[in-house]
Amino acid sequence: MDIRLARIDDRLIHGQVATVWTKETQVERIIVCNDEVAKDEIRSTLLKQVAPPGVVSNVVDVEKGIRAYNNPKYETTPVMLLFTNPTDVLRFVEAGVPIKTVNIGGMAFREGKTQITNAVSVDATDVAAFRALNEKGIELEIRKVAADNKVMMIQLLDKEGL
Amino acid sequence: MTVGIIIGTHGESARELLKSAEMIIGKQDNVEFITFVPGENTDTLIQKFHEKLDALDTSEGVLFMVDLFGGSPYNAASQIALPKEKMDVVTGVNIPMLLETLSMRAASGFEDLRNTALTAGSDGVKSLKQSLKNVEEDDL
Repeated sequence: MDIRLARIDDRLIHGQVATVWTKETQVERIIVCNDEVAKDEIRSTLLKQVAPPGVVSNVVDVEKGIRAYNNPKYETTPVMLLFTNPTDVLRFVEAGVPIKTVNIGGMAFREGKTQITNAVSVDATDVAAFRALNEKGIELEIRKVAADNKVMMIQLLDKEGL
Repeated sequence: MTVGIIIGTHGESARELLKSAEMIIGKQDNVEFITFVPGENTDTLIQKFHEKLDALDTSEGVLFMVDLFGGSPYNAASQIALPKEKMDVVTGVNIPMLLETLSMRAASGFEDLRNTALTAGSDGVKSLKQSLKNVEEDDL
């Protein structure tokens, strides 16, 4: 698998992903990796429906995503991996998937989370996963669209004392 | 430079269409909009369009995106665009049209971009239930 982009965005496939990132990365496949979403037939169906023209989308649980990475059939396929949270990314990395950089697009605020940019909020579990990814030397950059400047996640976590 | 774009609508929607598109794909260069409010006519709109044209780089051409075919923004833009080679007016401006056109500007010349606008504008109109039939099963 040719991982052109690994992105955390809890809206999954929406305007920014379909319009901006798919063009930017020239992927053939968008693979949504999330255990809950994979079990949710309505969400899975709708995510397949909104794949941009010429792009196939799959919705799989994390285990299956890792298996697909290791499947020689997809060795040269250019893909975008879409996650809702950094813990799932860490599961990929710990299973040996060579993700070098993670683009963080959106993580919605809800009770118990700390808002660190207008689009990104994190809780203790997220912070722990981001810290672990950082220790593995993985770049964690916050950017909604390709033209935005990269904001480094770790610097914001440090600034907030998280 | 890229093809310039001016959005023109009845009322304030041109401003809001651009804001909505920029919310999705980020801030855009070489784009302007005009609104058409009660008390204005085609002549005032032509004036407004000219002021916006002065603010644009028009070297690659200009695409006017207006709401209604035959409406005043259309009529005004048409008077400007008709005699010009790399200018045209497309109608039915909507968010899919804007997104696709804005994001294809860097890679497209004037004629390509006009086709992109027309295709995206109509292709963006769909029904949930009807388009579910086109979802292909692919298991990974």
